[in-house]
Amino acid sequence: MTFYALLFTLAAIGISETVYLIRKRLLSEKPICPIGENCVLVLTSQYSKIFVIPNDVLGLLFYIMASFIAGFLVIGIEPVVFWSFILKLSVAVGTLLSLFFTYLQWRVIRAWCFWCLMSAFTIWLMGIIILASSLV
Amino acid sequence: MWIGVLIFKNPEAWGGYLQPWAAGLLPIPLGQAMIGTAILDITIGAFLLIDFLPWLAALVGAIHLVIVLTVSGITDITVRDIGLLVGTLALMIDSLPQWMLNKITLQKL
Repeated sequence: MTFYALLFTLAAIGISETVYLIRKRLLSEKPICPIGENCVLVLTSQYSKIFVIPNDVLGLLFYIMASFIAGFLVIGIEPVVFWSFILKLSVAVGTLLSLFFTYLQWRVIRAWCFWCLMSAFTIWLMGIIILASSLV
Repeated sequence: MWIGVLIFKNPEAWGGYLQPWAAGLLPIPLGQAMIGTAILDITIGAFLLIDFLPWLAALVGAIHLVIVLTVSGITDITVRDIGLLVGTLALMIDSLPQWMLNKITLQKL
């Protein structure tokens, strides 16, 4: 139960963060950049979209899905095995994508975006929690 | 939001926190009332999470918490709701829209 509560909380943080970024993008406003000054450089780079879908929208969809699945697993909505598999698979894909985007910031764009790093750490933490729960 | 999910899991058990006099006032079965509470909790949480009408969500949350404290009584478990109530009130006051602030200021004058 604690494990799902942590996943749900992290997903909620992710929803809040991605909604903030989407809102700023739609209003053409600069997001607050608590660390570094190059958030905008990263957020407007050619890597800020996968095909035509902005990364913040993809992130929001991922976090909404993760929060729903965590809820489904706690309530016990069937098929539990399927939901659990989808959650693990999506977090695994998200972890790899976050690693790739972090590499892009480090080596290609050569600028750090606070919100992108925060989202990456959120997904990595979700991955660590899932791994830890399977070890217990 | 998480409390809403937990209530969905076992609505009758959460209904056990209601004082007998409050449970007797319900016009619908306890389970249904608790599911309604769960939906309300999740909706308030979602509104606050995405910063959509935060003042309204905080206001509804504050009213909801007052009702919770009234029908459950102040116990070791519900005592934290007093803190949440103050938090929702502070959030509501802080996020009041400008048109409403203008209205309040005009009425003062």
